Amino acid sequence: MKYVIIGNSYAGLSCADAIRRFDKSGDVVIISDENYRAYARPLISYYLEGKTTDETIWYKEDDYYEKNNFKLMLGKKAVSVDTASKKVVLEDGAEIYYDKLFIGSGGTPFVPPTEGFNPDSPMMGTFTKFDDAKKMEKAAKFAKNKEAIVVGGGLIGLKASEGLRALGLHVTIVELLPRVLGLALDEISGNITSKRLNENGIDTATGETVTKINLDGAGNPESVILKSGKILKADIVVVGVGVRPNVGFLEGSGIKIDRGIIVDKTMMTSVKDVYAGGDAAVIYDILNKRPNIIAIVPLACEEGRVAGTNMAGVYREYPGGMGLNSVEIYGLPIVTIGLTNPSNESQKVYMFQDENVYRKLVYDGEVLVGAILLGDISGSGILSAVIRQGLKCLKYKDEFLNGNIYSFVIDSEFEIYNINEGYAVRGDFEDLPEFSRTNWR
Amino acid sequence: MQNKLTNLKEDLKKNQIEIMLYPSKCDGCESEGFAACIKACEVHMSKKFGSKYAGARINIKKKAGRFFPIICHNCEEAPCVDACMPGARYKDTESGWTVTNYKKCVGCWMCVMTCPFGAIERIGAGHFASKCDGCIDESMPKCVEACKKGALKRIGIKNYSYERRLMVAKKIYGPYIKSVEKR
Repeated sequence: MKYVIIGNSYAGLSCADAIRRFDKSGDVVIISDENYRAYARPLISYYLEGKTTDETIWYKEDDYYEKNNFKLMLGKKAVSVDTASKKVVLEDGAEIYYDKLFIGSGGTPFVPPTEGFNPDSPMMGTFTKFDDAKKMEKAAKFAKNKEAIVVGGGLIGLKASEGLRALGLHVTIVELLPRVLGLALDEISGNITSKRLNENGIDTATGETVTKINLDGAGNPESVILKSGKILKADIVVVGVGVRPNVGFLEGSGIKIDRGIIVDKTMMTSVKDVYAGGDAAVIYDILNKRPNIIAIVPLACEEGRVAGTNMAGVYREYPGGMGLNSVEIYGLPIVTIGLTNPSNESQKVYMFQDENVYRKLVYDGEVLVGAILLGDISGSGILSAVIRQGLKCLKYKDEFLNGNIYSFVIDSEFEIYNINEGYAVRGDFEDLPEFSRTNWR
Repeated sequence: MQNKLTNLKEDLKKNQIEIMLYPSKCDGCESEGFAACIKACEVHMSKKFGSKYAGARINIKKKAGRFFPIICHNCEEAPCVDACMPGARYKDTESGWTVTNYKKCVGCWMCVMTCPFGAIERIGAGHFASKCDGCIDESMPKCVEACKKGALKRIGIKNYSYERRLMVAKKIYGPYIKSVEKR
């Protein structure tokens, strides 16, 4: 059995691990268009800050590929997939035949049409790859006025600006929406976040877009013109608006694509023996109850694992995922889970706010469907488990708001351990001499 | 206890080791003024990881007179491993425990956000997410050693599943067992 995996990141490696768990001898080939072994892609901003280094940015241990007998092909870009004769064609013309194929090609950065944007300039670019981070590190040294513009106030933009700020530049975030992290945060939390950014030398221009980048003679940016007509100085321009599924190379392969790759419950695409996962796949969103692209690390790993298990011949279904994210901005931890801005009238919002902490819960009837935690995030995992399982927990509303999120776990665990009920013998099973291994069945 | 689980030693030697909770026995060490397990863990962690990554990996939460030790449950397909962006958290293949390479941890709090037991703590000052590693290189987890109430026990995976099954059985057949006992 020959398995071919396109994409050497979270989804692809998780898929390879799952295959290896059930199939110890099959050939696994991992194709990547980058020249590095797997690295922690979202950490490139921490690389600029110096929180991770050239030694610690690697996702797996050094001998990971040899130990698991994975064949790694670096710097090879897949240009097309021929599903009829079961082969992947690479850029250099080589053809790789497969029995089972996994596509974890991830996303390519989306650049809105902007006059003057030139990704080949050493002072301009997107921010999703290790090479981008290295480029920006170099660019920061050549910046004359120490001014940087980051287009996009989402997670990529925020982390990019934090990284550039750590390199000593003054950063301005230009965001189309009325606040940073506009899709995940609400007005109050967005304002708290903006305030924290402004205190640390990052300006936010919200409700704005960059209409034109003025270039100097060498093709490097000099200044940018905003929609409102304002002109800002810029040595560096980073576009971090978002990513789109990287599915261009699948054209003509017969694989059904609607924005991303359409998959069924087993993560198989519309073509047999071809599976997909990660940022490139469209999965079922359990909260919005519709197919959706959710580009986050935990789901990429889950999808890869389900796909890999099925590829190795063990049936497994993926129940679907939900959006959740966590970020820390200058000491302010932010966790957003599920539907944070109510979409219809049946959803009710409960809020708690004091000096350092902000909590928001969104309930749909008795079911918790979304939450924002700012400042104090302890126990946020319990909330994400509750939201994902759709548990009825309206009676815990006040305790969640006050930060006693653990009380839910205590109650449910005590129920499992069965020691708050009247009939259970206090002191657990040791007091039950009748039970032993021999008469258990 | 001993005669019932005859293969306890063998199980401990051969199989993955888990920490079993008996929350009904936990009283939070209220009379002592400090929880013995937390104290023991703190001391051991600062010895093991140095002052930078010190701090207890076990916590006791109280609700209406009931105490529950919050500790890593060592999930089979751990959400914290999936969520870990730098690859700092991984499954130790030898011991089967989910452990952390704190040098790689950058403090993105993805694991804190996904742990369904709330067993991972954000250490804001040190910028790392601390989680129990089961004391895999020790002969006995320090919290288990310190607990004098019998609320924590070290146990092999076979006995662990056996005891959990017993608990479920007791929940379903509990009333029946009690009536047998009375007779």
